[in-house]
Amino acid sequence: MNATTSPVNQYFKALQLDEQSNSLSQEILQNCGVEIERCLECGKCSGGCSNTHIFDYTPRKIVQLIKVGNEDRLLQMDALWCCVACQLCVDRCPSGIDIPRIIDYLRERAIDRGIVPTRPNVKLFHELMLDQVQKIGRVSELYLILNYNLKSKQYLNNAELGPQMFFKGKLNPIPARVKRMDKVKRLFRPKPGQKGVAE
Amino acid sequence: MNVAYFPGCSLHSMSKEYDMSTRLVCKHLNINLQEIEDWNCCGATAAHSVDHSLAVGLSARNLSIAEDMKMDKVMAVCAGCFSRLKTASHEIRNNPHMKAEVEQMLQSPAPVKPEVEHLLQLLVEETGLEAIAQQVVKPLRGLRVAAYYGCLITRPQKVVQFDDPEQPVSLDNLLKALGAETVTWGHKAECCGGGYAASDTDIVLDLGGQVLKSAKKAGADAIVVACPMCQGNLDMRQKAMGLDFRMPIIYFTQLMGLAFGYKPGQLGINKLFNSPTALLKSKGLVKE
Repeated sequence: MNATTSPVNQYFKALQLDEQSNSLSQEILQNCGVEIERCLECGKCSGGCSNTHIFDYTPRKIVQLIKVGNEDRLLQMDALWCCVACQLCVDRCPSGIDIPRIIDYLRERAIDRGIVPTRPNVKLFHELMLDQVQKIGRVSELYLILNYNLKSKQYLNNAELGPQMFFKGKLNPIPARVKRMDKVKRLFRPKPGQKGVAE
Repeated sequence: MNVAYFPGCSLHSMSKEYDMSTRLVCKHLNINLQEIEDWNCCGATAAHSVDHSLAVGLSARNLSIAEDMKMDKVMAVCAGCFSRLKTASHEIRNNPHMKAEVEQMLQSPAPVKPEVEHLLQLLVEETGLEAIAQQVVKPLRGLRVAAYYGCLITRPQKVVQFDDPEQPVSLDNLLKALGAETVTWGHKAECCGGGYAASDTDIVLDLGGQVLKSAKKAGADAIVVACPMCQGNLDMRQKAMGLDFRMPIIYFTQLMGLAFGYKPGQLGINKLFNSPTALLKSKGLVKE
């Protein structure tokens, strides 16, 4: 990238293929069935986006970064960890580009590469929730929140809601379990270093 | 009408009132709900955020059980569960690679038959608004509400194929059939912050706060919802958002139940954080 480019212009004008570019758009076509090249650069995705006011890269810029194959920036961006997946961008796109699906794909890839997320608690929450699903097949909101507060060291997070939820019978102290857990466990990929999934 | 019912995790704990009122209203309208046996969590929003195959697999197992139960229709009331089930069904039907992967995960044929619908869609398209209006014994006259759809009941359109993605009307029409008045407002299909309630609460306070302010500005007495996540985010966090509205956030099934003549206790009205009792009383809809 040109060193003299102003910060404002760098995302819009100086994006170009360089030696670090890769075939990301091809991969996204194969894995997500999304044709990036159909982007018209109209910006309707960013106009609709629920969280564009806090995104480091707007949906439009994300598509641009894929076009030029700037994978490093994409896998490290904050947008991966604060997209609410509200599906406004995909419904507004005249070319049907499924940006939420692409963001999921990139997030999955960032995790596989071990890239530290900009919002570690968001990733932690996903992991703890899926741990529960892998163990009992369902989510117990009470134990998930308690475990999350413990692991994220935010001991009083949401604690103010606890008593009222308890008295309104909204917290279930005995979580339900799936009986055929063998069938649920089979859906999970073995984690690195972990032996095959239990039959 | 026989329907496979997927309640989802929230309906068994945080949102029992949604489950109670759903079962009551469906029974009243001769919709025979059969809970999917031994269902598992749909994985929303964690699974699709970190592992696409797992997300499809979790919902595929539930659809597969429904198919074994010989059910043509799977109904969910949580917008998150609905979206995951519907997306999985769409993937299985349209993506041969994913279908093969699902069959490997399930070790059985992929469930292609069951049609996934949100309860709102089922009521509007199959039961019909006229049939619903005929059951009204206590019209919700004078009740001015904002119909809130959130993100996932109508989006993405390619998958859901129900109502308009950004200017939906089905819930408004249903509420009008019950005798209520619905306001015109700009946030009916905006996001409440969804699954970030615990992991990044500021997002919910920001987006959910905007929804509440918009409803208030439009003159609504309450917001009517069709998703436990939206309900929780909008109902439990008004104080944290710095808003003193105390605006009731009511499930549409609860209002249907009231209009059909059921008592608030049967519909779990007392489980809502911001009590609608004073409002309902002022309109003569509840006694005490």
